[in-house]
Amino acid sequence: MQRSKCVLGIIVAFCLTGFAALSEQITIKYVHWNALPEDPYNYVEAFEQQYPQYKIDFTLIPEAEYPAALRQMARTGTLPDVLCLWEYDMLEFAEAGYIIPLDQYVAKSEVVNLEDFIPAVRSLVKLQKRLYGLPWCYATHFLYYNKDLFDKVGVPYPDDTWTWQNFVDAARALTDPEAGIYGCDAIVFHGIWFDLIGTFGDPIIDEQGRFAIGGCAEKLLKELYQLTKEGVIAKPAALAMGATAVDLFAAGKAAMAFNGSWMVSQYKDITDFAWDIAPNPLMVYDGYARRYAGLHTGFFAINAKSKVKDAAWKFIEFCLSQEGQRLISEAYANPSARFSVMERGYHEVRGPKGPTNWEALWIQAKHGHWGYTLLPPKLWMDTVEDFYSVMLGQLSPSEAVQRAIARAQDVLGPDKVAPYTPCVP
Amino acid sequence: MNRMSYRSTLAAYLFLSPWVIGLLIFVGGPIVTIFILSLTKWDLLGSPTWIGLRNYINMFQGKGDFWLVFANTLIYTVIGVLVSVVWALFTALLLNQKVPGTGLAGALFFAPAVVPYIATAFALQLILRGDLGILNYWLRVIGVRNPPSWLMDPQVIIWVLPALTIYTFYTGQMMLIFDAALKEVPKELYEIAQLDGASSLTIFTKVTLPMISPILLFNVIVSFINTLNMSFTVIYPLTAGGPGKTSTVLSVDLYENAFKGFRIGYACAEAVVLFVLCVLGTACIFWLSRRRVYYEA
Repeated sequence: MQRSKCVLGIIVAFCLTGFAALSEQITIKYVHWNALPEDPYNYVEAFEQQYPQYKIDFTLIPEAEYPAALRQMARTGTLPDVLCLWEYDMLEFAEAGYIIPLDQYVAKSEVVNLEDFIPAVRSLVKLQKRLYGLPWCYATHFLYYNKDLFDKVGVPYPDDTWTWQNFVDAARALTDPEAGIYGCDAIVFHGIWFDLIGTFGDPIIDEQGRFAIGGCAEKLLKELYQLTKEGVIAKPAALAMGATAVDLFAAGKAAMAFNGSWMVSQYKDITDFAWDIAPNPLMVYDGYARRYAGLHTGFFAINAKSKVKDAAWKFIEFCLSQEGQRLISEAYANPSARFSVMERGYHEVRGPKGPTNWEALWIQAKHGHWGYTLLPPKLWMDTVEDFYSVMLGQLSPSEAVQRAIARAQDVLGPDKVAPYTPCVP
Repeated sequence: MNRMSYRSTLAAYLFLSPWVIGLLIFVGGPIVTIFILSLTKWDLLGSPTWIGLRNYINMFQGKGDFWLVFANTLIYTVIGVLVSVVWALFTALLLNQKVPGTGLAGALFFAPAVVPYIATAFALQLILRGDLGILNYWLRVIGVRNPPSWLMDPQVIIWVLPALTIYTFYTGQMMLIFDAALKEVPKELYEIAQLDGASSLTIFTKVTLPMISPILLFNVIVSFINTLNMSFTVIYPLTAGGPGKTSTVLSVDLYENAFKGFRIGYACAEAVVLFVLCVLGTACIFWLSRRRVYYEA
């Protein structure tokens, strides 16, 4: 009897110690629009294993509702400790005081070094004057091309020296109306419009942070309309919520397509034809060459009202470490925004028929700009809708650009919009 | 009022109170909030800023293509109501014929109503696509050289989208309601009309329509409200309001202003306009129908 009591007492004491240990665990609330990856890529589990004193309370918010949900959480004081903010939201949240600057944390960190990040991160710090977020990874855009179609016609593959004229000439040569082959698919992802406008010479967001499109956008729209009219570029199809039911490139009906880098994960399963990726073409004006690539990311940020800010930073720091970035890159096939991690190629996805030219990613990263992602979504969505109308001959290029400028003045205020300027290289 | 009567009345109100309280909190409250927010500027981050009627002034001055969106809404609603009511009545009339297979036909006619519209929308994209769609493929096979771009031509899309209301659940419901109403028309009236030598069209216009006119009025009002309010469900998955703003209606524009543009005040103003349109439209339908609806004594 005495012995049983003794054993029972030991068990109870052990349990109480366990509970005490558990109660010392710090819970960090974290939200994201992507579900956590499964093992062995679950970076949250990896963090908890490395730091057992922390526990992550993760909430998935569907992508379509993400910005609105975060704003509602901000208003109701239920923001998580760590949030992953889209570009435009980070600007707004910082201005409203919902997130704290991370400068002091980064200054003391042995893991995070701003010099290791892609140039666009530092340009954002320059724009905002403080560092409010760090990119969890990034995505950009590629020119996807069908190698078999190029071989059939004898056109050299796109490379980093390709100019816009090379693209136009190749698209014309590759178009085969009888076979139903287009030189290039219609632009289906909205970011591509701004990539090409930037390539043609308009900054999209100028050095003063103003919305800036003008004559170069008009020039691009005129050229694209002409190519669409000739049947070299496919006509735009109805886009519902950013998606189209038909992907001409994947179907082998378009020799080229501009699209997001995330499409590599889908195209890797193509077995019908060999394909590869290339950076955006250069625009050459009298010996001056310009390249522009759009970037997308979410920025890890810390809630200003978080009671566990240091713990939140610990989680962010882990996510940005070599290990954390490896897990995120491998899970989502998105490159790290840190050059030292990106060079290890964790994001590289290889299918049986492509891609191989991962050098394209480096080129895009070095010439990457946040651009339109720093604008309110409705502004660029309505502008892109007008661009589609131009391709269908329903609106002239100059009307579309003037409407974009007027719309921006209405939404952002006249002082945040650069006046129209002709296209000068 | 005697005590018994008072207690009886009190009991009635008490039984009604949960519903009334729920209505006030979950319906009345948001409606009043929308009216108030429509007088503010708010991006969901800071606090709403009072701007009075500025949202309405901007709207009626044509900023944000309001008048184009408003016109699209009216066209879509009028054509959508006509199409859905006529289609529902037509299919109900077919189902009331004494021929084999009406049960199966009824199930087939009702099937689109139970399929989630988002799935229907993606299928419709494939069918209606200008260059690669199945519909245009068959049109070219039968000799139509330049079939239209059904979802990308502004002149065509204003007809196509309302026509697609036949795939909505409320059209299926109207079909069932018409079917029930047609079965209630006394057979003797048809026999008398036939004996008098009336044609099918005369029988339909002089017997059937008057006898089902109360149900017809009900369905027209239900269709009007649903077409107006559910236009987002039909249009957004299919075209997201494009190309340009040619298929943008008030409900789509409201959604985009609220959840893509975070212009909550302006979006609420659009919601108020939609509400007023709904009320005025319903009142108009009632007024127009007062001499055309036959109620049995």
